[in-house]
Amino acid sequence: MPSTCAGCGPSIQYRMTSKASGDNTILVGPTGCMYVANSSYLCTPYNVPWAHTQIGSAGSFTAGVAAAYEAMIRKGKWKGAFPNIICEAGDGSASDIGLGSISGALYRDHDCLIICYDNEQYANTGIQASSRTPYGGMTTFSPPGPMVPEAKKLFPKELARMMAAGHPHCYVATATVGYPIDLMNKVRKGLNHKGAAFLMIYTPCQKGFVYETPRSIDLGRLVVECGLYPIWEWNPQTREYDYSFRPQHMRPVSEYLKLQGRFGHLHADHIATLQKFANAQWRMMDVEVPEALVRATNPETIADMASAEAAAAVAHTV
Amino acid sequence: MATATMARKTVRINGCVAAAQAAKYADVDVITAYPIRPYTATMMALAQMVANGELDAEYIVADSEHSQLSIAHGASSSGARVFTGSSGVGVQFGYELYSPISGSRMPVQMMIADRTLDPPGDFGSEHTDALSTRDMGWLMGWSCDAQEAFDNHLLAYRIGEDARVLLPQMVCQDGFFVSHITTDVALPDSGQVKEFLPPYKHPYPLDPRHPVSHGPQIMPEQGPPLQLERARAMEGATTVIEEAHDDFARIFGRRYDPWIEEFMTDGAEVVFFMQGGHAVTARHAIRHLRERGAKVGLVRLRTIRPYPTDRVMDSLSRFKAVGVVETNMGLGSVSSGGSLYAEACAALYESDTRPLVLSFMAGMGGEAIVLKEFYWMTNKLLEAQKRGKIEKRTHWVGFEE
Repeated sequence: MPSTCAGCGPSIQYRMTSKASGDNTILVGPTGCMYVANSSYLCTPYNVPWAHTQIGSAGSFTAGVAAAYEAMIRKGKWKGAFPNIICEAGDGSASDIGLGSISGALYRDHDCLIICYDNEQYANTGIQASSRTPYGGMTTFSPPGPMVPEAKKLFPKELARMMAAGHPHCYVATATVGYPIDLMNKVRKGLNHKGAAFLMIYTPCQKGFVYETPRSIDLGRLVVECGLYPIWEWNPQTREYDYSFRPQHMRPVSEYLKLQGRFGHLHADHIATLQKFANAQWRMMDVEVPEALVRATNPETIADMASAEAAAAVAHTV
Repeated sequence: MATATMARKTVRINGCVAAAQAAKYADVDVITAYPIRPYTATMMALAQMVANGELDAEYIVADSEHSQLSIAHGASSSGARVFTGSSGVGVQFGYELYSPISGSRMPVQMMIADRTLDPPGDFGSEHTDALSTRDMGWLMGWSCDAQEAFDNHLLAYRIGEDARVLLPQMVCQDGFFVSHITTDVALPDSGQVKEFLPPYKHPYPLDPRHPVSHGPQIMPEQGPPLQLERARAMEGATTVIEEAHDDFARIFGRRYDPWIEEFMTDGAEVVFFMQGGHAVTARHAIRHLRERGAKVGLVRLRTIRPYPTDRVMDSLSRFKAVGVVETNMGLGSVSSGGSLYAEACAALYESDTRPLVLSFMAGMGGEAIVLKEFYWMTNKLLEAQKRGKIEKRTHWVGFEE
């Protein structure tokens, strides 16, 4: 029986992905929330074949499944259409311990889709920092304190861009649960692409981000509207990024941060640092940054997060 | 039998190529390679077979041994016959996967050409690499020459893929002493292999037409029955191993005792107890010693997992003194020597006629164990027999008078 938290972003994503992939699918689940919380012995939630694998084996186990079907179909040992082979790896698996295995699978171009459900932390183990945890994000491995007032000091690893740059023959894209149609279209595109594909999908985690449960989808939109999660596709034919996806609004990062307890400790200059980061992301996509967002990089125009009314409520629960 | 009349051919190949030939005869579907000496030569041979069109398989150059084992796990879980391998520290880089593969009951086959770990990290053979995984639920045994390596690979597929077993197999041979020494190997007719080795058919593969979940999270109380099942699969393999060896002898004409080989043990009072390629030197040493009147013999362990406890007890109890030749490191272990000693002693515990047991640290760092050293060890055994008592448990051969 699935026992994920209410509002769980990764499981919302999982449902959308499965809907897009259909019955002829094999799922691979490296260790992470979508293994531990979803699968439990004698009452599996999956109605397609699913296998657990080690957290560092995301790409390699998946490659093995794909290679088996290549060989078995070619040698007449298995009769049927080549299945959709999807790996659902968390960001700890995809950006840290399993990075090499995924790079190997993409490099060798096995016919599979590897998804990083990105909740920006190791959530299953009790909220620890991963390479995807944003600057300023509080986790149990990156707590704020007098010596580190901003908590996480490092900016997140550009995982999806690494995958596109290093494996330009692959279909690579980013998505969030805030845009379900876009997400499902990208799953289909990745599966239809002959060869390897990689999707990095923003999936908020109520337990780690500390927000009001019904706001998962809102966060999935706000993170894009605030410029913190650029949505793009890498086109393996033209070998170019497609930045044509545009959110309806552009907002200052504080509107995203203030909904989450994990940012409740941030000072004005930390928020300004994140705004500079967001503005640079917009510019990378050739989007002109509005004057208001440029002004928002000045700490004097920003209030500390702890004094923000919305954040204070959730910050106290951390 | 029809197969008996079919033409065979003898080729001159080393242990690595013999292993590759066995994989070809087994018509493996997925091969995962990562280079490390000395087993690499097996994967080089297979790469050429695939390139020549002699073998139809997916040949995957993995990004590490961890990935090699994970690819093998995924492919075996999907219903493919899988071949992989490694040596030395490579065996250990993939360590995480040994328990998941046996726990999910996937009969992956792995060829090991032993190499020392680091340090000393030289290219020589020490059995520590594979022995460090001995309790992970893999069937395991050592070959002592290229012919036996070829045969053991076919035997291991047959045993591991049997629906009553479904366990992965580590088919080990000494690096260089077996892997790189060229000898005559009789290759079978493909019809013989077909008769001996049925196609791999896992009862619950990852197949979209029959969805199953592999390896879901369990609650602590669900753990013991799963562990018991895996333990029973290992114990239950005993019958299947014996059946397979009988069939092997019938079809290929070469009969092996699946558990131990006894050499010149008739009338022997002291014996060497060992596994792997150094047994070939031991046989020569024993012939020479016998000519000089020393009552010495050899008991060679062919299968270490499942451990043939009763066979070892019955065999070794017939002698006065047993010299365990280790070729592996068991730092701080019960004998402060290697790990074979402890298991041999445990097997002998219930015997009414326990022999004296000595542990010899020989062949360390991949050094050859030369005749002179076997003579020296024989003297130690004979002295112990005469004294009725051991001088000490462990001797580092070459470091003592």
